[in-house]
Amino acid sequence: MTTNVPTVDRQQLEPAPRKTFWNCSTGFWSWAGTLDHKRIGIMYLVGVSVAFLCGGVFALLVRLHLWNPHGMLFSNESYNQIFTLHGAFMVFLFIIPAIPASLGNLVLPLQLGAKDVALPRLNLLSFYLWLGGAVLATLSIVLGGFDTGWTFYAPYSLYTDKAVVSIGLGIFLLGFSSIFTGLNFIVTTHKLRAPGLTWFRMPLFIWALYATAILQVLATPVLGITVLLVAFERLYHVGIFDPRLGGDPVLFEHFFWFYSHPAVYIMVLPAFGIISEMVTVHSRKPLFGYKLIAFSSLAIAIISFLVWGHHMFTSGQSTYALFAFSFLTFFVAIPTAIKEFSWVATVWKGSIALNSPMLYTLAFLIIFAIGGLTGVILGALNVDIHLHDTYFVVAHFHYVMMGSIALAFFAGLHHWWPKVFGVMYNETLAKIAAVTIFVGFNATFIPQFIMGSRGMPRRYATYVPDYINYHRASTIGAMIIGLGMALMVYYLVASLLQGKKAMQNQWGGVTLEWHTPTPPPLENFDKPPVMVGEVYDYSKLDLESTRTPAS
Amino acid sequence: MFAQLIQDPQKINYIENPVKPPPIDGWGQLEKLGSTFDHVDGLFYFTYAVCIFCFVLITGVLLFACVKYRRKTYDQPAASNVTHNTPLEVLWTVVPLIVVMVMFAWGFKGSLDMTIIPQEASRNMYKATARQWNWTFTYPNSPTQSIGELWLEVDKPAGFLLESMDVLHAFFIPAMRAKRDVIPGRYQTLWFNPVEKGDYHLFCAEYCGQDHSRMYAQVHVVSAEEFAKKPWDTWPENPTPEEAAKGGEKIYKAICSSCHTLDGSKGIGPSWKGLFVKGADGSITGGQREVIEDGKKQTITVNEAYIIESVQKPDQKKAVGFENVSMAVQPIDEKRIKGIIEFMKRETK
Repeated sequence: MTTNVPTVDRQQLEPAPRKTFWNCSTGFWSWAGTLDHKRIGIMYLVGVSVAFLCGGVFALLVRLHLWNPHGMLFSNESYNQIFTLHGAFMVFLFIIPAIPASLGNLVLPLQLGAKDVALPRLNLLSFYLWLGGAVLATLSIVLGGFDTGWTFYAPYSLYTDKAVVSIGLGIFLLGFSSIFTGLNFIVTTHKLRAPGLTWFRMPLFIWALYATAILQVLATPVLGITVLLVAFERLYHVGIFDPRLGGDPVLFEHFFWFYSHPAVYIMVLPAFGIISEMVTVHSRKPLFGYKLIAFSSLAIAIISFLVWGHHMFTSGQSTYALFAFSFLTFFVAIPTAIKEFSWVATVWKGSIALNSPMLYTLAFLIIFAIGGLTGVILGALNVDIHLHDTYFVVAHFHYVMMGSIALAFFAGLHHWWPKVFGVMYNETLAKIAAVTIFVGFNATFIPQFIMGSRGMPRRYATYVPDYINYHRASTIGAMIIGLGMALMVYYLVASLLQGKKAMQNQWGGVTLEWHTPTPPPLENFDKPPVMVGEVYDYSKLDLESTRTPAS
Repeated sequence: MFAQLIQDPQKINYIENPVKPPPIDGWGQLEKLGSTFDHVDGLFYFTYAVCIFCFVLITGVLLFACVKYRRKTYDQPAASNVTHNTPLEVLWTVVPLIVVMVMFAWGFKGSLDMTIIPQEASRNMYKATARQWNWTFTYPNSPTQSIGELWLEVDKPAGFLLESMDVLHAFFIPAMRAKRDVIPGRYQTLWFNPVEKGDYHLFCAEYCGQDHSRMYAQVHVVSAEEFAKKPWDTWPENPTPEEAAKGGEKIYKAICSSCHTLDGSKGIGPSWKGLFVKGADGSITGGQREVIEDGKKQTITVNEAYIIESVQKPDQKKAVGFENVSMAVQPIDEKRIKGIIEFMKRETK
């Protein structure tokens, strides 16, 4: 961790720098043993970014391989491992922890006006569980291989000679890391709100993290149980999922999706929270329909527990199950639509600053519209039978996971970057990168929608040559995303080394995190803040703070 | 793992089919429908139109707002501070609700059509057997089988009984809008009515391991007269050794080649190299092979009986070095196994 990098510059400029959480203590253990939510958040940020870049490289390898119908780079066996690596890294190491554990850790106590999270030691433990799980999973992938897809469906995952058990253990640890973070956020939100910060004055990012935390605590244990059962079955041949021993592979699918469907919302709800913040701050306008957005987060959290069966419409479920799961699935569309429309209404007649966080936000709003609406197509029972397990599904969930969640993560990262690091990146480059990623993303996945609806199945190392043009367009798009990402890494790292100072309140936000010096002191606020008035009241905005450099 | 990264790319090993299916083409986003499930296309395009409408609406409003309300000075306040508009909020809750309920009902009705097998189809049941990594089809009211190719009669509803010998697979014919997971340990069913003559792709849609993407079959929908000729049952009554070897080669490529190599390199199962050897005078005799039978190691001389036994009872004599590998029993009858043996002999160098 480059602990003192951003402060070196400042020390040379100012003889007696203000104490911030960056320079209040130094040395390896001041980070490795820290209880400060901001430092833990930074460590998470580094961790999930590394995981994301690895997952991204795997994605590029997958796309390159599919340039030719016969495959260009790998044997089928290696290809299966690469796409599994891509999925496992992105889902378990990046998307699930990315927003809550990194940005959430950095921002949640600040937005609540608290000194720290309620349980700082649990927070550190959660980080080390994440690290342990990540190292274990990575080691077993490198040494033993992993080729089951991130879903590790039985019975294939029971028969394959790859390192399923140790990966499962890694995922088990990652699951506990996620549970502990969720638990911590629930307690913090209940107990550590600043005076005057009532529930309906909380920023919507907090509401989203709160709804996410409920899902994390309730759903993740099921994943833990499932991987334990798989491990037991592999080691001791207990017949739970293996039909040769009297087990039922469809039961595995039920267990798996009982977690993994809510997990989709563990991933996407924090993204919704970020976007709610972005549209209001960068339009300088109170959020449209605050309460509806807050309640729709909770509604999504609840309904998400009841729709897991829509991943299994072709598995031969009973007609009644099909009826219920499809019906409830369509209900998720309603709170989601309410959110989307409310965001658009917030932007309308605002004072819209087209800076890089806002560009990512606009990209999110457009991409998420497609991602959400194609989800509606997949919710229809008869259409899903045709589209299930094709590239249409692949494109749909990439529109939600990569196009929406990752872009929301980037929006949040660019938004809170000056707050946390006290430096600004090169805005011009940031805007170029945002547009590049947006263009590349659509170029990658629109062809996948088309070939998917024309029958191209997913997880194919080779394909019939009919689909070659779609695959090639998609590969070119992926390379464009790669360029955009490389540019982003460049200007973010450059900003740490030689960035200009950020403003005290770079974007003109009015939530509590902008009411403390930038970067924040160790205990967040010099004196305990008191929340007065409504949360997104921009008449209170001190415009001078947006033009005062950080101290 | 990294050693595998530098392997040569594998060649696709689809069966050499006599006819190539027409390329997937057309103006619509879905390929041309070959069955009676037109409600799939209907709902797909309806939902698609709704999606495009919403997408254009959202994107249009956003872009317009970004141009019109763009912040020009750093202290520019918002043009409006409205936070609620109850009629609007009710509108965008109720209208989507009605639209998705229509989609739900339409989709559910369609799925009933797809899952409830009509009587005509249940009298015309095929069996599709999935295994890593090929498809075997058994024809209705006839013990005949074909591998990697399926013939259907046009305008006659076809029912399918699906079974898997190992892991999860999925039976997927995109043009027929037909898909069903194939699950080991239970039978699944599926039906459709092929109304367009032609050749179609059949894919495995559920990930099933190494050669998932090569688990392919071709579907031929033919007229009743052509179907009556049983074009899949092409094994001649008294084949010459060359004919038999040619047929054996086809079976090798469809089934055996996923585990057994011909050149001595290591596969999932033992290589076939050395099963038969060519003497100095050109005569072909059985080679020597070390096997384990009832836990005892012994060396046997390969003959036809051993090969037939290895296909029908693969666990009887296991080749040394492959004790822990289990080969699935293959549904290949004796005359076809003899074809494979002719192919083995032909490949002897």
